[in-house]
Amino acid sequence: MLRFIFKRVLWMIPALFAVSFLAFVLIQLPPGDFVTNYVATLAASNEIIDQNAADALRERFGLGEPMLLQYGKWIWGILVHGDFGTSFEWQQPVGDLVWERMALTLTLTLSTLVATWAIALPIGIFSAVRKYTIGDYIVTSISFFGLAIPSFLLALVLMYIAVVIFGQDVSGLFSDEYQNAPWTWAKVADLIHHLWIPVIILAVSGTASLIRVMRANLLDELNKPYVTTARAKGLSEFRLLMKYPVRIALNPFISTIAWLLPNLVSGSIVVAVVLNLPTAAPLLLQSLLAQDMYLAGAFVLLICTLTLIGSLVSDILLAIADPRIRLE
Amino acid sequence: MGTDGKSVRGRMSRRAFLGTTTGFAGLALTSGASFAAAKEAPELAAMVAKGDLPPLAERIGENPMVVTPADRIGSYGGMWRRGLRGSSDHNGILRCVGNNGLTRWDMDFTKVEPNVAAGWDVSDDARTFVFHLRKGMKWSDGQPFTADDVVFSIEDCVKNPELYSSVPSILTSGGKPATVTKIDDETVQFQFEEPYALFLEQLATPLGQHPTLFCKHYASQFLPKYNDKLDDMVKAEGLSSWADLFRAKNGDIEIPSRWANPEKPVLDPWVVEEPYVGGATRVIVKRNPYFWQIDTEGNQLPYLDGINFGISQDVESLMLDVISGKIDLQERHINSLANKPTLAANTEKGDYHLMELVPSSANVCSIYLNMCHKDPKMRAIFEQKDFRVAMSLAMDREEIIDLIYLGQSEPYQTGPRPSHPWYFEKLSRQFTERDLDKANALLDGIGLDKKDGSGMRLRPDGEKLFFSVDVIPTLYPDLVDVLELVKSHWAEIGVDIKVNSIERALYYSRGDANDHDAQVWPGPGGLDPMFDPRDYFAAHTQGSRYAVPWAQWYVSNGTQGEEPPESQKQRMKLYDQAKATVDLEERGRLMHQLFELTADAFETVGVCLGVNTFGVCRNNFLNTPKREPDSWTYPNPAPALPQQFFFES
Repeated sequence: MLRFIFKRVLWMIPALFAVSFLAFVLIQLPPGDFVTNYVATLAASNEIIDQNAADALRERFGLGEPMLLQYGKWIWGILVHGDFGTSFEWQQPVGDLVWERMALTLTLTLSTLVATWAIALPIGIFSAVRKYTIGDYIVTSISFFGLAIPSFLLALVLMYIAVVIFGQDVSGLFSDEYQNAPWTWAKVADLIHHLWIPVIILAVSGTASLIRVMRANLLDELNKPYVTTARAKGLSEFRLLMKYPVRIALNPFISTIAWLLPNLVSGSIVVAVVLNLPTAAPLLLQSLLAQDMYLAGAFVLLICTLTLIGSLVSDILLAIADPRIRLE
Repeated sequence: MGTDGKSVRGRMSRRAFLGTTTGFAGLALTSGASFAAAKEAPELAAMVAKGDLPPLAERIGENPMVVTPADRIGSYGGMWRRGLRGSSDHNGILRCVGNNGLTRWDMDFTKVEPNVAAGWDVSDDARTFVFHLRKGMKWSDGQPFTADDVVFSIEDCVKNPELYSSVPSILTSGGKPATVTKIDDETVQFQFEEPYALFLEQLATPLGQHPTLFCKHYASQFLPKYNDKLDDMVKAEGLSSWADLFRAKNGDIEIPSRWANPEKPVLDPWVVEEPYVGGATRVIVKRNPYFWQIDTEGNQLPYLDGINFGISQDVESLMLDVISGKIDLQERHINSLANKPTLAANTEKGDYHLMELVPSSANVCSIYLNMCHKDPKMRAIFEQKDFRVAMSLAMDREEIIDLIYLGQSEPYQTGPRPSHPWYFEKLSRQFTERDLDKANALLDGIGLDKKDGSGMRLRPDGEKLFFSVDVIPTLYPDLVDVLELVKSHWAEIGVDIKVNSIERALYYSRGDANDHDAQVWPGPGGLDPMFDPRDYFAAHTQGSRYAVPWAQWYVSNGTQGEEPPESQKQRMKLYDQAKATVDLEERGRLMHQLFELTADAFETVGVCLGVNTFGVCRNNFLNTPKREPDSWTYPNPAPALPQQFFFES
């Protein structure tokens, strides 16, 4: 097991290099650079930047240099000084910008995850065990609706209804008076008050697909001979269900942990943008749009690292949960 | 709305200037009594009573600027709620808070008025500008603002090659930067190489704020000249050079870090409290207790406690905020034509009304047929005035206005807008009527009389007459629709075009290399003809797209590009003269001659007058403009003086 982990960690290094280089190239691939985008964004509001100033910016950010040189400098800074560079747009260290938003992002993603699993697992089990009953049909139709409605649309509709009918503000994670206030219980209460809307919106589509996956997996297991054997031996129905079929049906859930970690950063971008959540996702989108190289690069690097770690973790967990899996 | 002193209009001779200074003295005398009774915001009065703040008279100095409120004297208190976009929206703050240059625009956007400078004196050759500052004026930290600060800003900061690799063009003339010298604490002189009469107007624009941007007692600690321990500070902040540190702490006119440092002293009505940084969800600015302006009853401005800029990642969500009455005054990001019906329908629900915004552009869509086309055969066609006139006559402008601009415009070519004193009927309205017969006759008359089987015209060499018109759909989606209609109109006279929707960078590179057949762009110069004359003659190498090589010739003083025809050369000379003329009437006369030549040459084909947009304003938000110009050089709403906006209690 340790050997396996060690080997996997070693493989991550070349993978990260490859990915970071690819990310760097891809971010630079669109025509223009940060300064062109900056000038164009200002031009969209009919604002002009002095031509000399624009040239000076380009020179200062080293945008005229060959791409390999830019990449080399960036990677060197990360490896040697742990310095991810300075964001062009904000003139702030990239590391600070990224970490600043991670706490709230973590809160939101974990709450969503808990909500999704708490809803999806029992319902999935229920609809598999009570296959083709009225209850199953109702749950199935609801989950199909959940799958079919794009979450950003749900967010927009909920926001509109909340504002126009109830006159309530649902965007953001805090009320105005708590936005920059120090952490108090009142602020936590305010956060919870705001958190449930994005959590529900994000959970809806996740829940729907998980219900379907859980139901299908469990149905595969329920007809297997070992279930019949266990039942024949007189095991209580609940214990029987939980002990083997559910545990095996959980496999795909564990595999999704690999996706889960990068989702901390990049998941639910559209919903976060629409609901104006102060999480990492909108910052990532913004940096990509503005070709803010180092900020976007740091995000992509972070996402890749998390994906690699996530898949390692899920492999280990799978091995623990399912003794049939071999580490080769 | 007015300020202390007479408006200092145009060229000012020594005598005229003396007249106005007497005016200042007179005003200071009459209003002297009211200063004693000057009032201030309750929380400031409380701080004064506790001894935390000097008394008002010391804070505003001896010669504060007196602002006549737009509607009436206001009352103190309240936060103005506005919205910002999550990225690159620092100018949204600048336009409300930070446009305090030496001069400022009047409400009509036609002349400049005193601002930080209480008055000025311009030499007859428009090379020397002497500004008279306000005695006892303070920075927001209570330190005096003097001529030293202006000299420091320009000589030590802007002219420092490590900070600015070249001096901003607004501070140069004849290729050389201005020399700034202190005459006494309240008097500062700018000396230019070449006549530069537009300087006063340039100072009122956002890009002209450098003289009042950097505060010597604070900013000098970030310059090596004044601080030998600077290297340690740079290291402590983890930055790579002192220039980076200087910019991080002091910002520049239009970079986000200008609004990221609450410690930096400013001359603005409000001071940053919660900064505009990468992770921010809102920006808050709060009252500057040392703000140097008072209303006509001696109340210190600003009336509002501050501004709360909420940051929206998705600007569409601003619409919801407006409808639910959570925005007090906003035009930015919401004023597209598509939003107008929704916002107009919800005025009662949100308790707001719409303000009218007059764009500075002359035309929604100038069509630039490339008169310097690289292909001599195309060039021979585009060069003919008759061809361009025919293309103009063939357009059904009424249809375009009705279908795309919801009837909110009128047929127009180019030229100052009808509300501008320099409006020129012939330049703006010629050839805007639809006349297919005449258009056909004109085309037949210049050798385009042969047609192919489908009725499309052939060039004299037998090729089909066809060209593509470049447009950027992401920037101006409406122009794509306009061109589709124009294509159908031109097809009626047998001219075939391709609407070439391309990416922004490609549009620029095609234009820069003179590889385009034709391109479109909203034609500027409607309210700011002196700042953007690109449609009046080949002035702008990236803007005068009907003849980029001529513009290159003009900008490079004849060393690059291609020599333009006589009419263009005359206009270039006239514009240079006008630029050097301080007297507004004389300048207007020169520009009139220029417009006459532009009208005769008829180089650009216009569609319709730039469409008025709108802003929203809550009904209890007073002293706010009902109608205002909308431009970058007139950075609305700043010239309407937000410091005198207030909430009806």
